Formats: sequence, structure tokens, C-alpha cells
Amino acid sequence: MLEIAVHITQVLLALGAVGSVYRIYQGPSVLDRVISLDVMLIIVASMMIVDMVVNDHQDFILFVVITAVIGFLGAVAIARYVVVRSPEEVAGGTSEQDPYPTPPVAPAIPGAAAENEPEAPHDPVSTPRMPGLEEGEDESTSWFSALARSGFTPRRHEDEAKGPAPAQSADPEADLERPPGPPSQQEDRDD
Amino acid sequence: MIESLDADLILDAVASVLLVIGGLMSLAAGIGLVRLPDLHSRMHAATKPQVLGLISLLLAAAITWRSWEWVAIVVLAWGLQLLTAPVSAHVVGRSGYRTKHMRRDLLTHDELASAVERISRDTPPTRG
Repeated sequence: MLEIAVHITQVLLALGAVGSVYRIYQGPSVLDRVISLDVMLIIVASMMIVDMVVNDHQDFILFVVITAVIGFLGAVAIARYVVVRSPEEVAGGTSEQDPYPTPPVAPAIPGAAAENEPEAPHDPVSTPRMPGLEEGEDESTSWFSALARSGFTPRRHEDEAKGPAPAQSADPEADLERPPGPPSQQEDRDD
Repeated sequence: MIESLDADLILDAVASVLLVIGGLMSLAAGIGLVRLPDLHSRMHAATKPQVLGLISLLLAAAITWRSWEWVAIVVLAWGLQLLTAPVSAHVVGRSGYRTKHMRRDLLTHDELASAVERISRDTPPTRG
């Protein structure tokens, strides 16, 4: 009975691997390939587990543990790379993947989102920028210089301060409306 | 002897069922990766063998080994996988959202967009 189950499991794992390889080959963007590679890694670990069940040994269990520990590093590294360093690659992925334009989303307050919404579908490559960010600055480190310039004082909903970045990615006026000055006034007032 | 034979049979049956469940999880991931339309729904399919499939396969292995020592190792491997799988899923989903690797026409409700818009409207008063 165990033999039959092992054979069935190997066939199922092989079919899952075939689907994953198809998505790795076909995937329109880097991120699709990354998650398919994660699935592929898990399937390889599963194959090793099945082999350990068949031959009754424990030689590969260390591979499974190590996979569980460091398996996420590749996805994290490549995801950061997609955001920061290679907008051209992302543009190639999205231009062939994006025949579905953004339908007009009804904003909660019509006037507030009117200047932000139309830019979003036409500019798929723009990485989001922080409000107080200079033009030529690297986005991965610019948060620190923006933080240093703004005289930031920690408060409770800290991560909400990063929220406006995607909405005003293509809107230079939004950056002009909020120069890095006002937070320092906030700090002065607190003192 | 009869009893131990029965126990062996039951344990083998449980291990077989767990093995097939693990294989079905990876098959579901493969089908989902092929069929689903965009990145975030594919991520939903890709997470299936990472947690549930892995625990069922590892439990089947521990059952066929008939030892409690390896159960500890198995639980360790599964716990580490359970800890690290959300990290990669979060980062991939976040960068997928920010680089617009998604089909907005498939969404019924985009909570993050409304949250971003509300915060960007509220930003001048909250930032001072």
C-alpha cells in the first residue's frame, strides 16, 4: 500500500513540477518566476522526502531543514531588485502583460484623487518615491536621507507615513506641495 | 503479533494518505500556477505545498521511520518553513503591488488603494 501511495505521490509531484516549470518558462514577469522557483524548491524537497520514505533513510532531512531556513532569501533579494534597480525589465514584463487597463476607480472623495488617478495606468514603470526625495537619489537609501532631512519624531502610526508614496509616484506637484520643511516645524512646535 | 501487524498496517495507511495529500498539494500548486491569471492569485496557489504539503509529507516520513526523535526534526523543519514562507510572500506581493504586476480589472475591492488615497489626503495635517 505504501508503494502504491509513493508512486501516486511521485506522479503528483511531477505534475506539480511540470506546472511550475511552465510558469518559470512562460511567466510574464520576474516575480512570477520567483514564486514558481519557490514552488520548485519545495517540490524538490518533497521528492527528497518521498525518497527517504521509500528507502527508509534520513540522509536528506538536513536539506529540508536548510531549505526551510534560507529558502526565502532568493525571493526577497529578487523582489527588492525588481523594485529598485531594473525598471526596464519590469516594463518589458508589464507591457506584454498589461492589455488590461485600469478601470476608473471611484474615489472616496472625487476631488482628492482626481489628479492622482489618471497617471497611474500610463506609467507602470515608475517606482514610488518618498515625498521629500531628490530626483537623482537611489530609492533604496533615500528613505534615510529623507528621514534625516525631515526631522522625524517617532509616533504611533509610523508606517502610514509611507502610505502616500504609490499614489503620487507620477505627480511632481505632490512633491512640491509637501517640501521637507513642515515636519521640522512640527518638531520645533513640540519643543 | 497480530496487533503489531495491525499497527503497522494502520501506520502505513496513515502515511500513505499523508503522502498522497502532500502530492495533491503540489499538484494544486502546479495547476494554480498554470491557470490563475495574475501574480497575486498565483501566489495564493504557490503557498499550498509550502506549508500544508510539506507538513503532510514530513509527517508521513516520520511515521514510516517509526521514531519520535525524527518527529522533533520534522517539526523543526516545518516550523522554520512556517516562519519564513510569509516573509517571501509579503515581499513579493508588496513589490508586485508597487510595480503594478496585477490586473486591476479582476479585483472586486482594493483596500490598499483606498488606504493609500486616504492617507495621502490626510498627510498634510498629520505630518504637521
